[in-house]
Amino acid sequence: MTELHFLDHPPRFLFFTGKGGVGKTSIACATAIQLAEAGRQVLLVSTDPASNVGQVFGIRIGNQITPIAAVAGLAALEIDPQAAAQAYRDRIVGPVRGVLPEAVVKGIEEQLSGACTTEIAAFDEFTALLTDSTLTAGYDHIVFDTAPTGHTIRLLQLPGAWTGFLDAGKGDASCLGPLAGLEKQRSQYKEAVDALADPQRSRLILVARAQQSTLREVARTHEELDAIGLTQQYLVVNGILPEAEAAQDLLATAICQREQRALAEIPDVLKTLSLDLIELKPFNLVGLAALRQLLTTDLLAGTVSEVTTQAIQAPNLAKLVDDIAADGHGLVMLMGKGGVGKTTLAAAVAVELAQRGLPVHLTTSDPAANLTETLNGVLDNLTVSRIDPHAETERYRQHVLESKGANLDAPGRALLEEDLRSPCTEEIAVFQAFSRIIREAGKKFVVMDTAPTGHTLLLLDATGAYHREVSRQMGSNTHYLTPMMQLQDPKQTKVLLVTLAETTPVLEAANLQADLRRAGIEPWAWVINNSVAATTVHSPLLRQRAANELQEIDAVVHQYAPRYAVVPLLREDPVGVERLLELAGHH
Amino acid sequence: MTTIQVFDPALCCSTGVCGVEVDQQLVGFSADVDWAKQNGAIIERFNLAQQPMAFAENSVVKAFLERSGADALPLILVDGEVALAGRYPNRTELARWTDIAGSAEKPASGCCSGSSCC
Repeated sequence: MTELHFLDHPPRFLFFTGKGGVGKTSIACATAIQLAEAGRQVLLVSTDPASNVGQVFGIRIGNQITPIAAVAGLAALEIDPQAAAQAYRDRIVGPVRGVLPEAVVKGIEEQLSGACTTEIAAFDEFTALLTDSTLTAGYDHIVFDTAPTGHTIRLLQLPGAWTGFLDAGKGDASCLGPLAGLEKQRSQYKEAVDALADPQRSRLILVARAQQSTLREVARTHEELDAIGLTQQYLVVNGILPEAEAAQDLLATAICQREQRALAEIPDVLKTLSLDLIELKPFNLVGLAALRQLLTTDLLAGTVSEVTTQAIQAPNLAKLVDDIAADGHGLVMLMGKGGVGKTTLAAAVAVELAQRGLPVHLTTSDPAANLTETLNGVLDNLTVSRIDPHAETERYRQHVLESKGANLDAPGRALLEEDLRSPCTEEIAVFQAFSRIIREAGKKFVVMDTAPTGHTLLLLDATGAYHREVSRQMGSNTHYLTPMMQLQDPKQTKVLLVTLAETTPVLEAANLQADLRRAGIEPWAWVINNSVAATTVHSPLLRQRAANELQEIDAVVHQYAPRYAVVPLLREDPVGVERLLELAGHH
Repeated sequence: MTTIQVFDPALCCSTGVCGVEVDQQLVGFSADVDWAKQNGAIIERFNLAQQPMAFAENSVVKAFLERSGADALPLILVDGEVALAGRYPNRTELARWTDIAGSAEKPASGCCSGSSCC
């Protein structure tokens, strides 16, 4: 058994980062077990909302350090980021609840309900673990299944974020104290950030899958964190389909080839990092025995199987589109976390509608653009346009800095610039660009591969700025609908939540649904993409994966989705009209 | 010495940039506050999203919120009494409240600090 690079002489703090569903928590658990069994004292810290750490060890853990009886030297702690954010909100809002009018209190709570607040609140919980020696003195290693984002770290480093209202209780409009609800002293956050950036103490492990889009995203994370001094970085590509499987069936062959190509074309910035490959395992990563085997690099002998698992019977995308088409026009928005295939499915929905003779405008923020470009001019009643998220965000950023930033002092301006790097800013800038096209939905179909979160919509709506903006664009005499009103009406707008049949992506989609509901928007359907269960497979590993998908599909169907479709994983990338139709269920 | 208290509406991100349009009034007003402070005025600002207690503890502000809601902010008190609501004051108004000598001094930007409130 060869030692994995990221486990070689590990420092005290290990952080695993990557998008939901790549296997961060499993790898963090396996790492903690391995270190503990090598005789070290280890604390495992999980912020996984699916919170399967307790399940893995068969005990309840929760928000306090709990010894794991089954592994000597191992203890664990679960931080619930949502609960941390709620506690943060309560510190600010609690004292005025029942004192100020309810509508006012609700407004304040919405201000503090964004992703940034959750991030900051979770980091607040981390701080003690990185700095408080009495709490963690007994541990040789602390393993985190997550890492703070660059945005959060930079914000904490800015003097402007801490001045103004926070220090003096009064200040300029530029420094409203985003960190006002934090409990600890600024020096403690500085200490925590210093610990993160110290290669002697901290190692960051980027976890990815062998997929182009995932590797691109990881490259961005790498550059962002490297720029703020987190230079000790390792790359782990998880869940690779072993080549022995490729011989088993055509789908397995196609997946192997796609993964090998993605690895061969790995972004340049990642090539300097030491790389570990972890193969897909033929068992579920639950229980101690399974986790002990996760980090072995021994090749498992490929077992040839004569058994075939048939594709499940489930509604396909074409059937969903039948119902969408019935209304004759409207806005269709595909929403979901990065990498679930929103752009592909938006293209498939648009092609399906166009095939039925309906006028369609497909508009995407697809960074690769090749998918949508292949559709331009192919079908008579389909128009395709593309919005460049970076260009739109940059334009918005410049506009704000020139107008609002003009009178700010240096710390105030630095804070404004950082706020403009938040994920919300891009979302707003892109949605603004899309909203010019939304108006067409009164006459034809408009299909978009993105949607604003409920949080953003509520904020835009609450400020009233959106109403003003719309009335300005439409001219004062015209009767108009605000985008909010249009989005809330299921006759006019259908939101399709896109997910994968895996635990974390399903949970993330459920969170998006809850967020939209807060804004009075009810998602119309769920689409489960890249499903192996919806294909017929021989390969033992793929049959295993298909079996695992069933309970996730079941959860979507029975717990979350008003209606749904399952889209199979295809052998070929779904580019062009023919393959998009195949994706939707035409053979 | 006169004290001016400004009760701001809740701004979404720390810098309030998450709006579709940047509030130009807010930009101009910040500059005017700086000018007034340099001339010795005492000006305090409170943000609803960060310091709701300041709103709850002041009976005038609390009653204002109950009557008119958060949409009616900002609210400006001069020595504890309502001086202005629903918009930010211009430089002339700040000067009058604080007895800044030479209040005839030209405002920095346009007639009222870039806002359209004239």
